Amino acid sequence: MTYHYNEAFENPDYHYSETLEIDRSRERNPSFHQNRHDSSLDDDSLYDSYEGHSGRGQRNQDYPMAIPMASMQPGFRYSHSASGSAVPNTNPYGNPHTNPSFEYEPELAYTSPSTFHAMDGPYMRRSSDVSDGGSFSQRYNRRQADLVYRMPSSLLRLDSKAETYNEDKYKQEEKLIKNLASMSSGERVKAIQKTPKTMKEKRDIRNKVLMEKTKKSVSSSTQINCCTQCMYKTALSYQRFKNGLSEYLHLLQLWQKTLKVIGGKFGTSVLSYFVFLKWLLTFNIFSFLVNFSFITIPQFIASGPNNLSFNGLELLTGAGYFKKTVLYYGFYTNSTISKTENNSSYNMQLAYIFTIGIYFIICFFSLVYSMAKSFRKNFINPQTYSGSAVKLLCIWDFNITNEKAVKLKQSNLSTQIKESLSEVTHEVLNLSLKQRIARIAIHLVVWVASLGIAAACCAGVYFLSRNELQLLEGNKSELENEAATLVLPIVVSLLNLLIPFCFALFGLIEKFQYPRHQLYATVIRNVCLKISIIGILCYYWLNDVATSEKECWESLVGQDIYRLIVIDFIFCLLGSFFGEFVRRIIGTKCCKKLGVPEFDIARNVLDLIYTQTLAWIGIFFAPLMPAMQIISFFIIFYVKKVSLMRNCQPPRKVWRASQMTTLFIFLLFFPSFTGVLSVMAVTIWRRTPSKQCGPFQGLTSIIDAVSGWIHILDSYSSSKWVVWIYRNLIGSVHFFFILTVIVLIITYLYWQIIEGRKMMVRLLHEQIINEGKDKMFLLNKLRALQTSKLDPPKGEQQERSSSSYQPSRQAALQMTASLERPFGRNGRDFYAESSSAGIPEKTGLAPADEEGHQPGISETLALALRARQQAEWEMEDDDDEDFRP
Amino acid sequence: MAELKDNPFRQRIAEVFSEDGEGNMTLDDFLDMFSVLSEMAPRDLKAYYAFKIYDFNNDDYICKSDLEKTVNKLTRNELTPEEVCLVCDKVIDEADQDNDGRLSVEDFQHMIVRAPDFLSTFHIRI
Repeated sequence: MTYHYNEAFENPDYHYSETLEIDRSRERNPSFHQNRHDSSLDDDSLYDSYEGHSGRGQRNQDYPMAIPMASMQPGFRYSHSASGSAVPNTNPYGNPHTNPSFEYEPELAYTSPSTFHAMDGPYMRRSSDVSDGGSFSQRYNRRQADLVYRMPSSLLRLDSKAETYNEDKYKQEEKLIKNLASMSSGERVKAIQKTPKTMKEKRDIRNKVLMEKTKKSVSSSTQINCCTQCMYKTALSYQRFKNGLSEYLHLLQLWQKTLKVIGGKFGTSVLSYFVFLKWLLTFNIFSFLVNFSFITIPQFIASGPNNLSFNGLELLTGAGYFKKTVLYYGFYTNSTISKTENNSSYNMQLAYIFTIGIYFIICFFSLVYSMAKSFRKNFINPQTYSGSAVKLLCIWDFNITNEKAVKLKQSNLSTQIKESLSEVTHEVLNLSLKQRIARIAIHLVVWVASLGIAAACCAGVYFLSRNELQLLEGNKSELENEAATLVLPIVVSLLNLLIPFCFALFGLIEKFQYPRHQLYATVIRNVCLKISIIGILCYYWLNDVATSEKECWESLVGQDIYRLIVIDFIFCLLGSFFGEFVRRIIGTKCCKKLGVPEFDIARNVLDLIYTQTLAWIGIFFAPLMPAMQIISFFIIFYVKKVSLMRNCQPPRKVWRASQMTTLFIFLLFFPSFTGVLSVMAVTIWRRTPSKQCGPFQGLTSIIDAVSGWIHILDSYSSSKWVVWIYRNLIGSVHFFFILTVIVLIITYLYWQIIEGRKMMVRLLHEQIINEGKDKMFLLNKLRALQTSKLDPPKGEQQERSSSSYQPSRQAALQMTASLERPFGRNGRDFYAESSSAGIPEKTGLAPADEEGHQPGISETLALALRARQQAEWEMEDDDDEDFRP
Repeated sequence: MAELKDNPFRQRIAEVFSEDGEGNMTLDDFLDMFSVLSEMAPRDLKAYYAFKIYDFNNDDYICKSDLEKTVNKLTRNELTPEEVCLVCDKVIDEADQDNDGRLSVEDFQHMIVRAPDFLSTFHIRI
């Protein structure tokens, strides 16, 4: 429905912007014109009768029909303002609100100004149309020459023609406004936003629509006035509140200015990294707020003093002093906290498990939501353009404001275009079988090598970590122990830093057909590496640490994660120092060939995903991990920004920012978040919590806390429903089984629908191409006909008229718009019309058009008609009636 | 203003959004321009105005001469005329759905739908 309205909506502007009524109406006989007015009037009112249908009783139904019929009689129209205002009062059914919509509106254009206050708007508009109606006036200028030589013929007549033009335009607008008025407010705003008009026109339209709305509501709400007013007021104040809030939120938005500067200097691609960083930061801020308020604050109330000493190393290792703070799981109590005198108490176990559970559920939905949104936006079409058309017309980044960046971008573009041109001239390389096999072999070898490296890294990390666990059991000094714990995170971070470079080197050996493939391959390899390292660490934590009978293994895991995050953060800083700053020094001072480094978006984003995964795992073992993450992201943002500004240049390659962002969100969801969920699940359902510390001490598994609570609830009759939900939905296998089956079925259905749509799209595309060919074919035929009839014999008047009519039809269809006018009330016509004619417009065609309404349509004409009808998707029926004799 | 100072299409943008078609903007035109170039503007609207910007001779079609101008603006006249010609032919060949040798608004919109980056790049941050 919305779409349909939009069509109608774009209509007047597209239509009128192309041709001026003055041009056309000269060539039309007046009676015809008159008819058209009436018919369209009829059409309007018909529309209204549909619109009013639902609100009206059965007996009223033919009432609206009577009015337009009457209005068709000459004379009525001009005296209507009296009768018009009388009608609602005489309406015996006391249902006046149906009337204004069809009664006053279609005729406003014809009435002289009356006492109606509503009249002012349209009238002002009419008089000002010529002078300031945005796009129209532009066209007007362009047509000026046309006008000038027609002017002398009869000024008066021209005036009247202009008047009819205005009336016509006004009527179109009228219809549009009515359409708008019937929409809901949200739809309307969207629709108005969509019209390609100037602000003034939009405002005008909106005002009129609102006027119509209020008129309707005022007349209809005499009885329930108070109630509606109240509603209206609340709605209005709510709207105001929302607007104000959004304004403040806008102010609160972080780094607005910085992002703008980055976008201006480096374009959208680099900007996407920072936007992603900001997005992750909001996740962390949210989780910090939740954890802090529901877990940490209650714990503060109950906690005792901390008497461990503090030395600087703890900041790195996270052990020592921090062991006995709210940072780690082990510090939280398992008791219920009740400080107040009344018996409201706070169950720490439940708080812990529910806070984290709900946080993960919210995360899950927001990730799914943003992923779906991103997919919908960026992968709508099965086949995306990668050709030069997009490269040329959509490539310019309007964000860029820096002069140097503009120049760089331009030279990059020209090299890109040259490259693509050379590809065209070379065509596709015809590789021999041998070469192809060699290529595939290289790919295979590289893949095996990179997977092997990842596996080797995992094995190394696993043995190192086991070693460390044993080392901790040995009796050494505290400090030595703590220092030893740092070995593992340093090794992991080193691997994370160096192996991607190794993978990048592989890229030199491999030859990909498209650079995109290379990018994807590198990203996939890096993800494999990082995720498998995290996976092996999780295995170590859950399998070795958790079963090692250590005191408080959860806190140990928390410390490990803390160290990993801190060391990774330090390496990130070092990486941007050495990777970018030193690299620039080398590139500009020593080895000029290297040049200034580019900002590697993929690597940086993958680093972010890696740390975020660690932080998610850490939330359970160290509830305040998000705070750390917030701090480190803040610092990373500024460091990266400074390093980017000072050291880097915009990336030379095309970076499909939106698609890559989608990919990254997907990566964040799929291996990362789902992996975290499974780790959580194993921890909660399968692992025994440590016996001496933490909120769950003494339980056989963490989920027992919930089932115990449910057991307690069972004894209260008022909370039976919670128990029921738990037993039958959350705790039941059958429910999840059924749910999975349903989801699978829905997915399958949607998949089938998508397949069908794809086929449809392909067919329609083929149809469009065929139509184009048809058009070209007909056009050529017409040209041939036109040249052959340059000097036609007198006797073939009939033939001549049809054939000359034919070109005019064709011309109208294709280019000239002057004859098209009576038929085209559809927005699509605009696309078919143009003034830059391949066929010279002849004055002789005009009378031929009139003759064309007589019978004698030749075969070609029929063909042309068919082609035209098919080319226009939504052709109104009365167009045909106008056209055919 | 700074946002448009270095944009190669600045003249065109001013022309398209100004009421008189010559680049003299009123406040309303200015607001119009930023509403179109803002994040909130719907895709169709953006596509429509982008089309107008690329349509240098205002004939409501992007024809070859328009494309040539675009290429020259995008590349600062670094390509030879033959190369420019080749590029333009390729573009028309690719994006022209109805084979009339030039791009209509529909062709353009059709192309835009498949270029997801367009929404983020046809956007000026304020």
